[in-house]
Amino acid sequence: MSTPLAQAETSAPKSSARAKVQAFGGFLTNMVLPNIGAFIAWGIVTALFIPTGWIPNEYMAELVGPTIDYLLPLLLAYTGGRMVGGQRGAVMGSIGAMGLIIGADIPMFLGAMIIGPLGGLLIKKFDSLIEHKIPAGFEMIINNFSIGILGFFLMLLSYTVIGPVIEAANGGVTVAIEALVATGFLPLLSLINEPAKVLFLNNVIDQGIYYPLGLQESVNAGKSIYFTVASNPGPGLGLLLAYTFFGNKIARRTAPGAIVIHFFGGIHELYFPYVLMKPLTILGVIAGGMSGIATFQLFDAGLVAGPSPGSIFAYLALTPRGSFIGIIAGVLVATIVSFIVTSIILKLDRRSDQDDDALNESIEKSKSMKAEGKQAFASEEAAPAKEVSKISFACDAGAGSSALGATTFRKKLSKQNIDGIEVKHYRIEDVPTDSDIIVVHKNLVDRTEMSFKDHEIIAIDNYIGDPKLEDLLDRLKKTNEAS
Amino acid sequence: MLSAYLEETIQFKDTVSSWEESIHIAAAPLLAKENINDSYVDDMISNIHEFGPYVIIVPGIAMPHAQNKGGVLENGMSLLKLEKPVAYPEEKEVKIVMVLAATDSSGHLELISDLASVLADEEIREELENAQTKDEVLRIIDSAE
Repeated sequence: MSTPLAQAETSAPKSSARAKVQAFGGFLTNMVLPNIGAFIAWGIVTALFIPTGWIPNEYMAELVGPTIDYLLPLLLAYTGGRMVGGQRGAVMGSIGAMGLIIGADIPMFLGAMIIGPLGGLLIKKFDSLIEHKIPAGFEMIINNFSIGILGFFLMLLSYTVIGPVIEAANGGVTVAIEALVATGFLPLLSLINEPAKVLFLNNVIDQGIYYPLGLQESVNAGKSIYFTVASNPGPGLGLLLAYTFFGNKIARRTAPGAIVIHFFGGIHELYFPYVLMKPLTILGVIAGGMSGIATFQLFDAGLVAGPSPGSIFAYLALTPRGSFIGIIAGVLVATIVSFIVTSIILKLDRRSDQDDDALNESIEKSKSMKAEGKQAFASEEAAPAKEVSKISFACDAGAGSSALGATTFRKKLSKQNIDGIEVKHYRIEDVPTDSDIIVVHKNLVDRTEMSFKDHEIIAIDNYIGDPKLEDLLDRLKKTNEAS
Repeated sequence: MLSAYLEETIQFKDTVSSWEESIHIAAAPLLAKENINDSYVDDMISNIHEFGPYVIIVPGIAMPHAQNKGGVLENGMSLLKLEKPVAYPEEKEVKIVMVLAATDSSGHLELISDLASVLADEEIREELENAQTKDEVLRIIDSAE
């Protein structure tokens, strides 16, 4: 009996490291997914109205720039801030993102995904520092000014730091591309292209390096491969197809729409959020891009000018006679390779999710075995899989039932001399994602699960004195005694 | 604190015809004091229609409330005690209806804290359920604080 226990014990730290990586992946996904609709709206506007779009319209096209510069990064930062620090975190994250947006001349997606949660964290830490220290009646003014003043600094910081950072990144990318072009082994370019595209550094490489190179070649040969190296729609298509078949539930439903706008509309930005959701899938588009370039080279294919936007139609329109097979093959191969690699990544990711579940189950099991055999293992220290430090009571308004439930539970905890557990009340949507346990009325469980499916949710009938809350209290009492 | 809120808002009634009516009646004193307006009463009722009787915080006691969408002008609380229980959705019987009006999610926590002390204690709850007069209710609540 001691062997399985020992195994569970030793594998626990490993799983927690992996669980952390996964939790981080889930965090990115949750930050991006709710905002895909905005990406699609922007994609449709762009595909239709830009000068090279389907129905060019100067007036409508004015929507394109501000939407991608402001709306999309702000949404990401807002969502990220909210996930860490609730509504106040959302406000803080958005303020910080504004500094980035104005300080940068490219759309700040990744930056927003960093500054958003950072802002949320900042205000959360501040709030917990001054908790219980605010004199009654001053809550409103302190709450508003704390965001105002901290936000002011965050905005200044992000504004002044981001410019030089992007300049350096652009410089680095340019140097790396030039070095790779010099080697003559063009497929390697994808190593830089794909990450640079997702980070919106593609303009500097396309217009700064590839198009000039392509124009030179095109003047002599009538076509150039350089026009294709970063604009091939194949890798993105493969990635989105992989999400369509093997992504999680919501990704599966949104990816087909993104495909239309990406592949036919040529708006590559549509696949960026899917890469940002699971950063490892960048390998899929890199592999796709590489094999695409290799295929173009094999067929000696090229385009006569830079395709903009990079849709399949622009590609075919710019293909010189004699290059059709090569161009189509290059796009096709890139799609297939990207699809296969991304699918493997998504599937592995899923399997490790399941592995983890199985692992957790076995830990859970050995724990209960241990509880039963407590006498026999009296010398062994009880090590719970997860320490509970934050319990969130939630209800619709976050003011009534949940507040009452949280207050009552807090009183019970202190009566049992259990400390170190934060018990607070929230609107369901504002529950912080780092809550260990969420307590909610059984009628609201569905709504809670939508946002917190990976969390332990306790469904109760009554916010006070529910038997499940008594069980929870017992459980906390036990871990408290054990530690 | 809690008893100060309830000073002018306790009512006794023999019976009501529906849970909706129980909320309308319980909310009346708060309407009269202009703590809330009619829209808040509608919000509370539609909340229960939508999410079920989650406002029943302990068996027999309902605390109707809703998010403040402009209907709450000032924090407040009222209490309606029924002689014969009224059925809330899912066949839950309720004898005490306490309407909570909160302008936001943090300003009324002292009130909530008092309420928690009252409701978490089974003996006090029982006394409350047997109370016959306004003064009795206030005395019981004061004793718990």
